[in-house]
Order: sequence, then C-alpha cells, then structure tokens
Amino acid sequence: MSEELIQIQNTFRFTEENQREFDALIGHYPVKEAAMLPTLHLAQKQAGYVSPAVMTYVAALLEVPLMKVKDVVTFYPMFFEEPVGEYVIRVCHTLPCALRDCKGVLAHLKAKLGTDVASETDLGKGTTPDGKFTLMKVECLASCDVAPVIMVNDDLYKNLTPEKVDEILDNL
Amino acid sequence: MAFIKLNDLEVEVEDGTNVVEAARLHGIEVPHYCYHPGLSRPANCRMCLVEPHVFFPPAGAIVPDRQLATGCTTVLRTAPPNRKLDGKYDFIVYTDSPRVKKAREDILEFLLVHHPLDCPVCDQAGECDLQDFTYRHGHDKSRYLEVKNVPPKKDLGPDVLLYSTRCIVCTRCIRFCQEVSGSNELGLIHRGSHDEIDIPRSHDGMPLQLLDNKLAGNVVDICPVGALISKDFLFKSRPWFMKQEKSVCAGCSVGCNITVEYKEDGVYRLKPRFHEEINQHWMCDDGRLGYGYVNSDDRLQLPMKRVDGEFQPTHWADALTQITEKLSEADAEKVVVIGSAQGTNEDNYVLQQFAHEVLKTEHLGLFGALPGEEHTFPQFTIEADKNPNTAGARKMLSNGTPVLEGEALWKKVSEADIVYLVSGAPERSLEAEEKAVLESVDFLIVQDVLPSEVTALADVVLPGTTFAEKDGTFTNSKGWVQRIRKTVDAPGEARIDWEIIQQLARQLGGEMNYHFAGEISLAISENVSGYAEATHQNIGDSGVKLAE
Ligand code: SF4
Ligand code: SF4
Ligand code: FES
Repeated sequence: MSEELIQIQNTFRFTEENQREFDALIGHYPVKEAAMLPTLHLAQKQAGYVSPAVMTYVAALLEVPLMKVKDVVTFYPMFFEEPVGEYVIRVCHTLPCALRDCKGVLAHLKAKLGTDVASETDLGKGTTPDGKFTLMKVECLASCDVAPVIMVNDDLYKNLTPEKVDEILDNL
Repeated sequence: MAFIKLNDLEVEVEDGTNVVEAARLHGIEVPHYCYHPGLSRPANCRMCLVEPHVFFPPAGAIVPDRQLATGCTTVLRTAPPNRKLDGKYDFIVYTDSPRVKKAREDILEFLLVHHPLDCPVCDQAGECDLQDFTYRHGHDKSRYLEVKNVPPKKDLGPDVLLYSTRCIVCTRCIRFCQEVSGSNELGLIHRGSHDEIDIPRSHDGMPLQLLDNKLAGNVVDICPVGALISKDFLFKSRPWFMKQEKSVCAGCSVGCNITVEYKEDGVYRLKPRFHEEINQHWMCDDGRLGYGYVNSDDRLQLPMKRVDGEFQPTHWADALTQITEKLSEADAEKVVVIGSAQGTNEDNYVLQQFAHEVLKTEHLGLFGALPGEEHTFPQFTIEADKNPNTAGARKMLSNGTPVLEGEALWKKVSEADIVYLVSGAPERSLEAEEKAVLESVDFLIVQDVLPSEVTALADVVLPGTTFAEKDGTFTNSKGWVQRIRKTVDAPGEARIDWEIIQQLARQLGGEMNYHFAGEISLAISENVSGYAEATHQNIGDSGVKLAE
C-alpha cells in the first residue's frame, strides 16, 4: 500500500465499543471477506458515511483488496460515499407504492424540506443545507401491503398521507 | 480422447477441452468475450452459447437440450460406454444451429445497447472482437430507442486509459489483475447496466490506487473491445497498416514470445505471443514499452572515429581500415574481444570465430546490460538479467576457453592494448571501475546502437543493430533457443553486427563467407555442443529447448 493510502487509512479506526462489536461478528463468518457488509454498516454508523478512510480501514481489517470494498460500497445503495443528513428519508417508489400515490408523498417532502431528491452519485442534491435531512427514492421496502411507505433512518412508516408525513417530521 | 460430433464433423478432442477451443481447433468460430484461455471462466457474457444434444427421455431419442449452454464452460470428456450418444459419440454439440444463431444475435444486440458505435475513432477498430463478431454473427440493427449511458473516460494508470462507454463488462481485465498479476487494482463499480470498470477512487474521483504494475499492459491486449487503451499506442496507427513479425522480447532473459508490429518508419508496438512454457499469453511492460530506443533519433547511423579527441563521422571503409591496421600490428596476447548478451547467437558465434581464427586471441569476454530487479507475480516472473541472450552468448563465445566475465574480464581488459567491445545494450552506463579500465585501453573499438558512456570512451564507434533489425536466435535462461526476425531496416548506415565482424575478419585475411543468419545457425548446430537441433529451420515459431 502506498504511503498516501496508509495516511488516509490512519484517519479512521473503530471506537472501542465498535471494535468489540466487530470482534464478535467476525467470528460468525468462515472467511473474513464474508463479513464485509456488517463491517461496512458498523463503520458507516460510526463515521456517518463510507469515506476513503473507512474503505481503506475496512480493506485492511478484512484483508481484502481495496477495490473489493469499493465494489461492494458502490453496489449497495445503503452505503453512502459522502456525508448525509442526520435523518435519511427513503421514499419507496416501486409499483404498489406508486399506485398508492408515493409521488404525492415525495412532492410533499420536497416542498416541506425545500430540497431535491438525492441521486446515487450525488447525495448532496437531496440534503438540506442545515444537514438535517437527506431525501432519497428507493426500490421496494418489502411492505407493499401498507403502501405507501417511507423509512426514516431505521424506522418504517406505513400508509402515508401528506398529513401523516407532517406528523412524523414534527415528532423527530 | 473424446469422440465428438461437432456440427456435421466427427472429431476427436482431448479430454478437458471446452467447446470454444475444440471448435477453434477445427476452424469453427464460437464467438466469445469473457472467456480467455489464460484466465478463469465466469461465463458472464453469454456470447459463446452452443446447442448440446442429450438423451430425452432417458431411453429415447437424442434431441437438442432444452437450454443452450455456454461453450466456454462446457467441457468435453470421454463418456462411460453406457452413456454414449448415438452409440458412439461422447458429446454432440452444434455451434451453428438456428437457435444458436438467434441467441448470438440477441446477445450482441444487448451488448451493443449502450455501446457508442464509435469505431471510426476507436483504436481497436480492425482488431475488435465486438466489431468482428457483430459483423459475422450480429443483427444489422438495434431496437433500442432510449438514451444511452455515457460513463466517463478514465485514466487508470501510467499507460492505460479506459473508454468506459465501449466496455462490455466481460471482466477479463479484473480477473487478470486478480489471477495473473495479483495486484487487484481493477473492479466494478455500480450495478447492472451502470456497471463500470474502475480503480479504487474517492467519491470525487481522486484515485486511491492506480493500475500501476509491471504487467498492466496485458489488460489492453485482452480487452476484447476498445475500452482499455494503451497510451503509448493511442492514435498512432490503424492496425491494418502495420506489418507483423514473430520475434522475441529483448528486455530480459525470460525471452517472451512477441509479435513486433511495425511500419517502414519504425516499430509501433510489441504484443505478447502465446508460448505455453515461457510467457503463456503475457509480457511485461518493461519489455512491451521498451522498444523506444529502436526508433530513437539518437541512434548511431554512421561509423565514427576520434580525431584530436573529438568524434567525427566517417565512412565504413575508413573506419574498418583503421581498425584492421591496428589489429594486424597487435600482439594477440594483448587483444580482448567482448561479445554481447544483447546480441544474437549468430553475432556471438561469428565474433568467436573471428577472435579464434583470425585474431588468434583466447581473450573473449561477455558484456551486456546491467542487471535489474526480479519481479514475481502469481503467474509471471520478470527476470533480473536484463539481457535476452546471456546463456546463448556465453555458450557461443566459449569455444573451448571459458568466457571472461565481471572481475576477470576487467582485469584482462586492463592489460590489453586493443579491445573490441560489441555492446548493444541501449544507453548502458558504466560503473566506476569499468569506466576506469576502459579509459586506460589504448585503442577501444565499440560497436553499439546508441551513444552511451561506453561509446564515449571509444576510439572508433561502429553502428550496429537492435533485435528489431536482424534475424537470429536468442537462448533464454531456461535453454529455449528462439528466433528473432528482422522487421525495420537499420537506420542510416548501421549494419547487422555479424556482417560487420565478418567484414573485419575478411579484411584481415579470414575466410568467412556467411550470407544470412540461417547459415550461421547451421555452423552453430555443427560446432556448438547442444545446439545440433537449433537451426533456423527447426526452431519454427516456438523455439527449441536445449537438452539440460
Ligand atoms: S474494460 Fe475491456 S476487458 Fe475490462 S471488462 Fe470492459 S470490455 Fe472487458
Ligand atoms: S519478462 Fe522479460 S522477456 Fe518478457 S516481456 Fe518482460 S522484459 Fe521482455
Ligand atoms: S465466453 Fe462463454 S459466457 Fe462469455
């Protein structure tokens, strides 16, 4: 690894608590590489997003080439490569939600937060200037029976209407 | 051996051969992209679909399988006696059935969905599998009306560019970096139709690691389309304007088999050529990009002699006369003749003959490029000896007496009056003690291709030729004797090295009468132990291995 990479890598490390969590989870996998997803989630939770420092750190930790980590990070939309808001709002726009007017929900959120919808390669576009919210469209959240749905960070909200959205945001 | 029905042919193939190779052996093309014989087989492009036939139902007829199979991963083997198809075949496969043809057209249509069709400005045009297979097996039109993806052009490393739009995501390049170079710089980013090859980068595109290993150039060769491009060759020439000649890399003692591509005005690129036991499908970038000196404007083009301390160009007759005068007066004990590990066996054999038969000196030495570093990869090694022919030159020069090398050589040179040094190592620098010894020589004749610290010390400089300008053989470190072949003409009045030596020999009364390198190889095969089989006729394209 080049000097520069080592320097980048050195700017991130797990907190003691996360290190303990990592030590526990790594034992569940036959090879280190297989722990890539949970390790990345853990690191993203700590750092807020998967920066180059996080990628190089995880690559070294799991003894895989850096490109493998980059590959995984860009494959899954739940990993962020740039800073996101405190609350990440995911609006499902797959068919059942679309039939139940997710467009209305999305339009309401856009107007209310005053931001555009993030794209996978440009999360900044969907992030409010105060860094509080990031608004994004996602594929199926596996709750078609209660469409339309959104997720705010790890919580799912069902059967939404614009009014319900207001309520959710007010209670955050 | 497996007995196969391949279309309407009945053929025998070795167990373990896949359908693509079996067909290729019998002149049938099964188009393929992700499959490369030197790499693992992910079967991800689906271009190589073929139609196998199977028993159906168990006791009944032999019919097409319900599914087409990928020819790259369908391996042919001898079937047990009770499993023979039609009572005799180990396998039945069709590569040209209507279903196969339709499948190919469809796959190609998909592969071209996001392709920019920019052949007119693409470096690969003319040697592109996408172009060729589309022409031979594809549809004449696309039904895709939507907007095409336009991923960016990327700089991957010192010599490689990626035109992402042209990539068909066969992943050959990724697998090469995983399996052969072991350097793992390449991978896929994003998903599905947005897949892109890339090196690790930060989100804003800053490279975290470059495609920078000594085998990187191979990814350009194996890229079946014009996505990976060599910066060295970019926009230099259309492939069909170049001539090609089979040769051997002169970059180190591995002796990779190469194809030299050239035009009248110089060498344009070197590409590896398959040799199962030496370099497989690969070559290193030092060798690949190391041909620049052949085309250099600085090449020695005229003989030069020292007049009042300064070099002056002169003509051959003058230079040779000056040398023969000196040599004819000299005491044979005080003459040292030094051959080159950069030269061919033929050059060195003639030099040896000249030394023994004409000059009557026993003092023969070996010179060459300074050693470099050895580099090892999971499936490749670059050797430290930066000369292509150390083993051969040593053998040719040592007819009876051991060849002087290193310390012993410089000691002998320090006692000599006249030294005839054939170098040929491009821009060879001299170590302090080598320099001191050579400076002390009364009359130093240097035969070389470029001005260097060696030629700077000479009294007469004779312009010789590089590996690209002559015929001959090199012997690699493992004892393979292989052919190099003339491509471009030598610059100016530079001459083939053994011709210069023969001319000198004749002027000194020697009887040497070789007309071409192949004749010398016959003499070598008669007179040098172990080389009996190593004539140009026998060597062919893939060399002869000397008995251990
Ligand atoms: S760049 Fe070339 S070799 Fe690599 S995946 Fe694309 S088409 Fe294949
Ligand atoms: S390994 Fe040696 S012979 Fe092969 S390409 Fe490199 S320099 Fe040339
Ligand atoms: S060559 Fe067989 S699937 Fe790609």
